[in-house]
Amino acid sequence: MSELTDLIADLKEQEALKLVEEMLEAGKEPNTILSAARKALDVVGERFEQKYYFIPDLIFSGELMAKVASLVKPKIQTSGNEKETIGKFLIGTVEGDIHDIGKDVVAFLMEMNGFEVKDLGVDVPKSVFVNATIEFEPDIIGISGLLTNVFDDIRDTIKAIDDAGIRKNCKIIIGGGQLDESVRKHTNADSFTTDAGIGVQQCLEWMGEK
Amino acid sequence: MVQKLGEKLLADWLSGSHITFKNEKIKKKYSANAKRIIDTIKLKKTDRIPIIPCATQKFAFEYANATYKDAMYDFDKIRTAYIRQYENIDFDAYVGPEFIYPGGMFDALQWKRLKLPGNHLPADRPFQFEEAEYMKADEYDEFLDDPSDWMIRKYLPRLSPKLEPLAGLPSFHNILNYYHGLHDFTFAVADNPGVLDAFKALAKSGKVVSKWYDHLAKFDQEISGNYGIPHLLGGCSHAPYDVICNYFRGWRGAISDLYRQPEKMLKMMDRLLPWMIDYGVSSAQSTGNPICTLYIYKGADSFMSDEQFDTFYWPTLKKLIMALVDEGLMVWVFTQGTYDTRLKYFAEIPSGSCLIHLESGSDIFKANEVLSGKQCIEGNVPNSMLANGTADEVEQYCRKLIAECGPGGGYMMDFSAFLDEARRENIHKMVEVTKHYGQYGLDGRLKQQ
Repeated sequence: MSELTDLIADLKEQEALKLVEEMLEAGKEPNTILSAARKALDVVGERFEQKYYFIPDLIFSGELMAKVASLVKPKIQTSGNEKETIGKFLIGTVEGDIHDIGKDVVAFLMEMNGFEVKDLGVDVPKSVFVNATIEFEPDIIGISGLLTNVFDDIRDTIKAIDDAGIRKNCKIIIGGGQLDESVRKHTNADSFTTDAGIGVQQCLEWMGEK
Repeated sequence: MVQKLGEKLLADWLSGSHITFKNEKIKKKYSANAKRIIDTIKLKKTDRIPIIPCATQKFAFEYANATYKDAMYDFDKIRTAYIRQYENIDFDAYVGPEFIYPGGMFDALQWKRLKLPGNHLPADRPFQFEEAEYMKADEYDEFLDDPSDWMIRKYLPRLSPKLEPLAGLPSFHNILNYYHGLHDFTFAVADNPGVLDAFKALAKSGKVVSKWYDHLAKFDQEISGNYGIPHLLGGCSHAPYDVICNYFRGWRGAISDLYRQPEKMLKMMDRLLPWMIDYGVSSAQSTGNPICTLYIYKGADSFMSDEQFDTFYWPTLKKLIMALVDEGLMVWVFTQGTYDTRLKYFAEIPSGSCLIHLESGSDIFKANEVLSGKQCIEGNVPNSMLANGTADEVEQYCRKLIAECGPGGGYMMDFSAFLDEARRENIHKMVEVTKHYGQYGLDGRLKQQ
């Protein structure tokens, strides 16, 4: 692992940014720098899944990455070195619910695990889920909901996706602290999770079956 | 010896001295319910496991076909709903709509911190907090230098367009400078009609609050007086770390501070601690209830590392709880999310002084092992099961809770979270099962196994 990867993975902001500036001044290829930074996020994701890192570490690593990108991106002439993706993942928090952290953590981990992620935000109407499913053609849809009175909204969102005839090529996972098998059945989702890491494992298994 | 505040409140609450009871039978029922709850918190022998509602929301509203929006505006309608609920379901304690704040209080100020039902959200959704950086990353020093001045001239104007003119006032501490500071201050008020408008908006908001207070004050008489069900919810306070996350910096902002300026964060928590103690004590006093609630949010298992919990969360939370306990109050710690690894910390508080609420995400059976003989635990019946499960499933789950957590006392039956969707037969079943299988004999053992 490169020094930059280590510094970002260890969340050492000052040292990491100083090193990025030095690397840029020394004429280091910007894409190589970005690639080392992305590797660091993979390490952060692994540490999170191993319960060595926690949500603050994950969120802060995202901020750190954004700062690195803002230093490096103006120097990039051509795009390239994009990471290959293993599948497409659409995510959003269900209509009537504005909680975002659980959704953001899952989006982060899915990206780390090789998915191309499209995040619809919070309080997402079912028609927006349907249209995004048609346009983005995800392999997996993640619907987040923390409130206990959004079970019916999750069910209705999934029904709208079913009714539009666009579910056959994708799986649907629902996530939130108050969910369980009874809610999965009620909403007709393919799976549920109360833990971001376990949810990501489920999605990886689905991709393995494809 | 001087009687502590909590002891006085407890004596009044147990006797129901402020309530006119419908008849002697209801008064006796009230006394038995109140004693059962206090004995359970204090880990003493009692007649039965109590069944309590941490709070009911949409579930209660439906007794009067009301929505969340109605609950925030139509006080009579919502009071009818709660009265009908407690008329129908014989819980051992009641929690009313104390957290359904009056919409008019926010409307008068165009309050930005909340998304409201019927306005930003559908009418049948609860209001939800909008976490944002109401205090900027570089404002810790300014806050610490003069917190109340900063709150009035910076914080409030950011939360309400109606209060923006307050930002134009000179520093309050300048008034101390003999007449110079005074004329600067009075001139600024006279020169800016917006300041008077700001106070008018505050008064308009306050008039709604006054009606809301009257509305809440009727519950004790109507529910305790008519049905013998004591009020469970008293004062309230917050963990200093949560205050920074929820009200000042937003969670994301606070997370950055954990890494970038941890010392300043710790100083701010030390500054907030006496405020939170004072808030807990004074709100207990004003509600006349010996149970003070702490809703804890950002200290959950996955929300920070053990080291971060030990450094940022627990020290000021522990001091807050200890200060409330020193006043003779009992502390209802309402955990939200999974707190499995944090439960051992509550054993550091004097035994029998806390009531620890657990959501279904926490392992209550493990909690029972960790806290048995130390603190009372309650909660955990999954809201999803109450919404989608059968009465049989609810019975099996509640019987398991009674069998595992009941022996030795220190356990109350309750939902996992505030109750919205639930089948009425499932709630009746919870009550029935607890009252049947939760009885203790004189030897302190459960009668039914």
